[in-house]
Amino acid sequence: MTALEGIPARRIIHAIADAAARFADADFPPRVRLLDRIVERTGYTIPVVEYALDQLFFSITAPALERTIVSELGSLDALDRFVDRGGGETEGFARPIGSVAIVSSRTTIGVAIVPAVFALCAKCDVLVKDREDGLVSAFFTALTAELDAAGSAARAHAWEGEGDAVDLARFDAVVAFGGDATLARIRERVAARAPFITYGSKASLGYIGRDALEDESQARILAGDAARDLVLYDSEGCLSLHALFVESGAAISPARFAELFAGAVERAAIEFPPGARDARANARIATARNLAAFRAATGQGSVFSDEQASFLAVLDPPASEPPAFLPRTLAIRAIDAPDEATAYVRRHQLPVEALAIAGSRDEIVNMALDMGAHRLTAFGRLQRPPLSNTHGGRSRIADFVRWVTRDR
Amino acid sequence: MHAYRDESARLDDALLALFERWHRDGAPLGDGEFNAFALRLFAYQLRYNAPYARYCEGFGVTLERLPASWHEIPALPSAAFKEAAIATCDPAKAELVFETSGTTQGIGGRHYLERALLYDAALLVAFDRFMLPDHLRLRYFNLVPDRAERPQSSLGYMMAQVCAARAERSDWYLRGDELQVERFLADLSEAVERGIPVCIAATAFALVHLLDALAARDLFVALPTGSRIMETGGFKGRSRVVERDELYAALCERFGMPRDAIVAEYGMTELTSQYYDDVLVSALPDTGVRYKVAPPWLRARVVGPNGATLPNGTVGALVHVDLANRSSCLAIQTEDLGVQFERGLVLIGREAGAQLRGCSLDAEDLTAR
Repeated sequence: MTALEGIPARRIIHAIADAAARFADADFPPRVRLLDRIVERTGYTIPVVEYALDQLFFSITAPALERTIVSELGSLDALDRFVDRGGGETEGFARPIGSVAIVSSRTTIGVAIVPAVFALCAKCDVLVKDREDGLVSAFFTALTAELDAAGSAARAHAWEGEGDAVDLARFDAVVAFGGDATLARIRERVAARAPFITYGSKASLGYIGRDALEDESQARILAGDAARDLVLYDSEGCLSLHALFVESGAAISPARFAELFAGAVERAAIEFPPGARDARANARIATARNLAAFRAATGQGSVFSDEQASFLAVLDPPASEPPAFLPRTLAIRAIDAPDEATAYVRRHQLPVEALAIAGSRDEIVNMALDMGAHRLTAFGRLQRPPLSNTHGGRSRIADFVRWVTRDR
Repeated sequence: MHAYRDESARLDDALLALFERWHRDGAPLGDGEFNAFALRLFAYQLRYNAPYARYCEGFGVTLERLPASWHEIPALPSAAFKEAAIATCDPAKAELVFETSGTTQGIGGRHYLERALLYDAALLVAFDRFMLPDHLRLRYFNLVPDRAERPQSSLGYMMAQVCAARAERSDWYLRGDELQVERFLADLSEAVERGIPVCIAATAFALVHLLDALAARDLFVALPTGSRIMETGGFKGRSRVVERDELYAALCERFGMPRDAIVAEYGMTELTSQYYDDVLVSALPDTGVRYKVAPPWLRARVVGPNGATLPNGTVGALVHVDLANRSSCLAIQTEDLGVQFERGLVLIGREAGAQLRGCSLDAEDLTAR
């Protein structure tokens, strides 16, 4: 029996939405108090953190939650009782899977909140490994103010190391964000019977077809949108733009687009200034910039950057180079057809989370499917996934319920 | 062509004289002299090293617009050696060609050195100063690539030259990737029995395997007084990495030697000269921090992202300015991090390149923290 089992799903959903609405208010004191701590932890600038919090909490609304649940479970009522699921032959009841542990990542902002919210909607007990800033804890406090039972159902605290690590084996499901090695280590500690829901490292890409590059004004808008996809979260998210393919043969050449893009990145930095960087990242970016400058000097590609290397855009680096995965650093690859982009992704074995597309040809969509992308979207929206979307191709709530069926 | 040959010869003569002078009396090279030499060499490289000249032009630096200080000489990323022949001479005429071991992408670079004499002289005088200040003739146990097996290895070449000139006797114990432990131990035992001080020259990775082999045999070998270890190369590209403090402590325990008998050498294929820990030459107390020193024709700049030199005590990327890189490029930019202090350079270390990251960036490591 979980703490929320006796509470109607709609009541839980509305409590969550109300708590999110509080946090969507930039003047909500708990949010204000968290701001500096999140900045300190992540190194992102205040505008970036504010944007992240807005994106997160504005998206968690009752209608959005309900839509997502209905789309996955067929009915909101299925969380409360048996409902028809088989054209009159079968009834189903989506019971909570039990207790859920969520191990979040270090530099993202509130990445654990969305799975936590859906696990709570499924009436599970939830424990989140919180970060030093205590964002999840603060959100759960606000949630408890809306719904007393959430105080028992939703817990979040920070833990470190093996000494005081939570025993993951006692959870009925574990959600974890991490690289392959980290996920493998966590997997060893999860009970064999429990679903292990992983969100591994991913990259997101952009593809601009030639039909989207027929006039300068359209290209400028695209460049601005792509620049935003690059600079948000300093390219550190799985939804950040990590490589951009631009088709040749349009009125606006890839080289011209690269110029527009570089200008747009500089302008985007006014709204979203670069975050703190360590010396290692600085060294890598500066080296990458100068290597690109050397290549440009010897007739290979072009480079766009500034004196401080606050961003770096490289046109046509060798195909042998994987994405740099450095802050605000992007390779723009001029290509003739989608299969070149697919070949690049395969060559570097890139796990693709999302693909921003400009261009309407079917072959571009087919390319995205071939790449294994989980999400197709437009430029400028890469980092704004709707709540109802899957994440990493996974459903939002289905993993947190255990269906009980009753034959009629 | 005559002009190139004459100018190159004049530079080489000046460099050799500089090496000889420092070898003789240890006199430092003043800032003015270093600056003048660096700018002279830079102008020469702009004339004869076309890819480097084109690169510098991109920074607005040409023969007509030369910088006023060696600090402003554009540094070439070491990776550029993988992209083009960085040489003032015809690469086919280089007396030495060293190859980098490659990167995660498996593409190696080449460093062309027109005259072996320059390389040999630079390495020997620095080795004498920093590894052999007591002038001992040691027996060398080389756990680095054998020149006969891998002629393109600068490290193998370096140790071959050192052994030829300074060794009481030497041998090589690395065949391919295999460490010839039994032969090493037999030869080492013999040297120990005879009381001959030894120098074990090895990559950090090879030392770890050597320690594993000793531990498996439960063997402790007290090396004769005066023995030393030259550790080099780090763990680049290796899966097993041991903290340096841990490695040195284990070496001291196994070989019964003081910690200051272990000297880390820091070099790059793209450089002619090398840095060494100052442990054998410094009169200053051991603070636990390893300071790197270099011959006076090699200087490091610690730089920020805009390439400007950072104040002492600040962490930044390393740019090496090696006047002995006469026939290639004197200013090399690296991704290595370091801090410059009055006493010397402190390396922050090398690590693997940037990795794929995502919403799981730096995700929590439950087990290792």
